[in-house]
Amino acid sequence: MTASDSTFPDAPRPRGRLLDARLHLLDRQLLDDDGAPVGIVDDLELSGAEFGALTAGARPPRVTGLVSGHVLATRIFGGKPPPSRLQTIPWRLVAAVATVVRLHPTNMAFDALWVEHWLRDHVIAHIPGGRHAAQ
Amino acid sequence: MQLSELLGCTVRDAGSHQVGTVVDVRLAVSGDLDYSPSAPTIFGLVISPRTGSSYLGYERSEARRPMALSAWLRWRHRGAFLALWEDIGAVEPPTIRAAR
Repeated sequence: MTASDSTFPDAPRPRGRLLDARLHLLDRQLLDDDGAPVGIVDDLELSGAEFGALTAGARPPRVTGLVSGHVLATRIFGGKPPPSRLQTIPWRLVAAVATVVRLHPTNMAFDALWVEHWLRDHVIAHIPGGRHAAQ
Repeated sequence: MQLSELLGCTVRDAGSHQVGTVVDVRLAVSGDLDYSPSAPTIFGLVISPRTGSSYLGYERSEARRPMALSAWLRWRHRGAFLALWEDIGAVEPPTIRAAR
């Protein structure tokens, strides 16, 4: 991925690259260091700014983590999932950002795909040929 | 604070006039995106005066294909602009107030 030039006028260029959060991070597949999918980027955790008036000259908020979890129902019906349904993955675990987000090796347990695992074990496994990977 | 609390917020200027809706948040990342990129910081807010839907990145490139989609999105988001974070005065979802 390359940081493309903005067509908006007069924006100063910061050091480094520019990413648009919604475009380049949200809904990206999360892969562990073995390349196995462990979730989807559903939200970003920000630190350094709270609600209310901002202090002039304050440092801008920083992305401290990727939030992944069970958000399908709230995306369809609105609202916000409870924190217990979300898992925050610290940004320090991010190894690369491209068309997918790759993570460094970690002992962190990812539970965002339990629905897929349940379907695999209880539905797909009962379909002829469903117990082994495609050749 | 989570990113989703910023997306979709109505932006008002210093005179409380509505200027648009936050459709994306532009982040600055130092380092190589392929090798442990440093934690991004917010560079600014992409604000569209007419819709809260995504611009799908067309505002950031010269891409014009597919033509119908490009034309539709450019028309739908005409007047979209980037507000630098230093120009943001207060974040009070569902409203964000500009400092000036």
